[in-house]
Amino acid sequence: MMQKKVCMLGGFAVGKTSLVRRFVSNVFSDHYHTTIGVTVEKKSVTVDDRDVMLVLWDLYGEDEFQRVRDSYLRGSSGYILVMDGTRRATLDAAFALQQTALQTVGTVPFISIINKADVRSEWEIDERTIEQLRERGWTVLFGSAKLGQGVEELFVTLATQIVHAAPIPRDCL
Amino acid sequence: MSVDEDWTQLRTLLLSPEQTQLDELRDRLDNRAVQPRDVSRVLPEAFAVRGERDPQLATVLTPYVENGFVATIRKSPRAIVDAIAPIMGPAIRQAIARALQGMTQSFNHSLDESLSVRGLRWRLEAWRTGRPFAEVVLLHTLRYRVEQVFLIHRETGLLLHHVGAEGAVVQDQQVLSGMLTAIQSYVRDSFGASPDQTLDHFRVGEWTVWIEQGSHAYLAGVVRGTPPETLREDFQAALDDIHAQQPDALTHFDGDAAPFKATQTCLENCLHAHYEPPPRPSALKLWILGGAMILLLSWWGVMAYQTHARWSNLLVELGTEPGMVVTVAKSTLTGYHLEGLRDPLAKDPSAMVVEAGLEPSSIKAVWSPYYSLDPQLVETRAHSMLHTPKTVKLSVEGDTLVATGSAPIEWVRETRRLATLVPGISLYRDEGLVTTSIPDLLERVNRTVVRFRSGSSIVEPSERAALGAGSMALRELDQAVSQSGQRVRLEVLGSTDDTGSVTRNIQLSKERAHVVLVALGGDQLGEATTVIAGLAQSTDQRGSTGEARDRRIVTLRATLTVANRGNEAARP
Repeated sequence: MMQKKVCMLGGFAVGKTSLVRRFVSNVFSDHYHTTIGVTVEKKSVTVDDRDVMLVLWDLYGEDEFQRVRDSYLRGSSGYILVMDGTRRATLDAAFALQQTALQTVGTVPFISIINKADVRSEWEIDERTIEQLRERGWTVLFGSAKLGQGVEELFVTLATQIVHAAPIPRDCL
Repeated sequence: MSVDEDWTQLRTLLLSPEQTQLDELRDRLDNRAVQPRDVSRVLPEAFAVRGERDPQLATVLTPYVENGFVATIRKSPRAIVDAIAPIMGPAIRQAIARALQGMTQSFNHSLDESLSVRGLRWRLEAWRTGRPFAEVVLLHTLRYRVEQVFLIHRETGLLLHHVGAEGAVVQDQQVLSGMLTAIQSYVRDSFGASPDQTLDHFRVGEWTVWIEQGSHAYLAGVVRGTPPETLREDFQAALDDIHAQQPDALTHFDGDAAPFKATQTCLENCLHAHYEPPPRPSALKLWILGGAMILLLSWWGVMAYQTHARWSNLLVELGTEPGMVVTVAKSTLTGYHLEGLRDPLAKDPSAMVVEAGLEPSSIKAVWSPYYSLDPQLVETRAHSMLHTPKTVKLSVEGDTLVATGSAPIEWVRETRRLATLVPGISLYRDEGLVTTSIPDLLERVNRTVVRFRSGSSIVEPSERAALGAGSMALRELDQAVSQSGQRVRLEVLGSTDDTGSVTRNIQLSKERAHVVLVALGGDQLGEATTVIAGLAQSTDQRGSTGEARDRRIVTLRATLTVANRGNEAARP
């Protein structure tokens, strides 16, 4: 079976672990547990009638005190940028992380997701900002790990993009 | 020849090769369909060029190849079998050999330790912890065992291949591969180590994880116990082999681990195991143990032989003992078991067991009562049942009871009626038996006279016959009276002649009566007889009118009395 390494990136407490747990185990907890270092999970998805195993590296959330290490990103076939719709600052963290990922693994497929769609009324990220992200070429999805909304779509979409992407040598970027 | 013809000829001469090529090109342009011959020329190169560029060719061809393969198998399975047999045969043999080797190793260890002291201790531990005995033995005798080997892509942390020893607990291999890679990155980054400085090993409980780095992949071995450093060389050699065998697959790894199935044998060769050899007992200990065992066995053998000999003797004794029949005799784990028949008059078997030298508690005996026809026992039984007087002698001849001697008529009559009811007796004969009656016996007793010398109270030898006859008659009378329900009053009367003083004569008379009474065995007579010793009245003295010697006598006077009168008070 084809295996692909996928990294979960985003600021602290945006819901990376919740999205992974909802996707892998279909569970959600209101209690916040900060991820120390990395947690690795796996789950298979089907793309074009082929099974692909996503090995998900759930990295700790980046903040002003700790930066995501390049070494964790190496070898990723794709990554997911997670933002918290209720905190605009997480958008800035996503920008920074995308740059880090670009420098480390090149132009591999990635998808951004604005989490916590279940409290849309409290969002600080407005439609105009989202539109600007899409204009930059980002795929922006909305989701809620709490409700399971958009979670399956998130991972299947990324897996599809990874499978369809032709391998491009890094030195050509 | 015209100018045109000349020109044509000249052109043919000059441009003939080009014209031919031109015609061919025109044909190709006119007929634009691709010719198979043309494709066949470029097909291999075309496959190679496109295959290098992207996996599209493989994707497109896969269903056709699969269909063709299935069709071939259906059409000609033999050809496929012949083709893969050289590959599958050794692989299957190797797999079976490994399984057998592992099983034999585990079995040997269990067998080696099953009877030793520490084996028993480990068995207790297995029972206490609920783990299989083989596993406990393994844990105690194992120096080290490589339980799992992971081949992991260095950059992505994705699992390329994994092998595990039999019985090893294998967790989620893909997740473990990722975490192992993450841990290495974390440690290296945390300490600011350079890329060539890597995490070599780490230890968790009884497991050690050894990591060997290669250029594109690393090998992680999960080892239980304490491995030797030489194991690291084996890991590195295996890793080098894999890099040498799979350079392209490692360089262009895109998540497809299928090519790395070929590394199975290489990784399996890393599944080493080394066990502690069982301690060999020292020669001295072995000799002492052997000697003790021989002594113990010898002592046990002697004891067993003696006991068996005593048992055999007891069986012989029981077999010859009248009134006993042994039906079952066997030895059991706890002793011996006896069953048989026993006449109530036969000897006590417990006493015979003790006499044989055996412990009574070691023999469990079940005796059923029965009547034995042994003549000795039949005779004893007849005596007991018929209340035979002492004057009668009984003997058994075959099934006939013979009575001799003398007996009262009442006993004779009763015995004739009852004799054949005694078990073992069919006939009764008493022609040799003299019948006596109570009056006759009274007369015989009263006829007794014992004479004394002057002034003496000693029974003379010449008088013993008379005394004996009187005694015999008295005993017969005693038995006859006891069977008839009557009682006898016996007076022993002493007397003297006229010589000497009256006082002396009275004393002498009493002494003579007492001496006779003792000689008659008065104390030994049955309760049917009451005995009184006293002085004879002058009128009662037989021969009192005769000579003096006829008055120095003791006489007996027996009379019948009414029954139920106590005799104790009357005894002298």
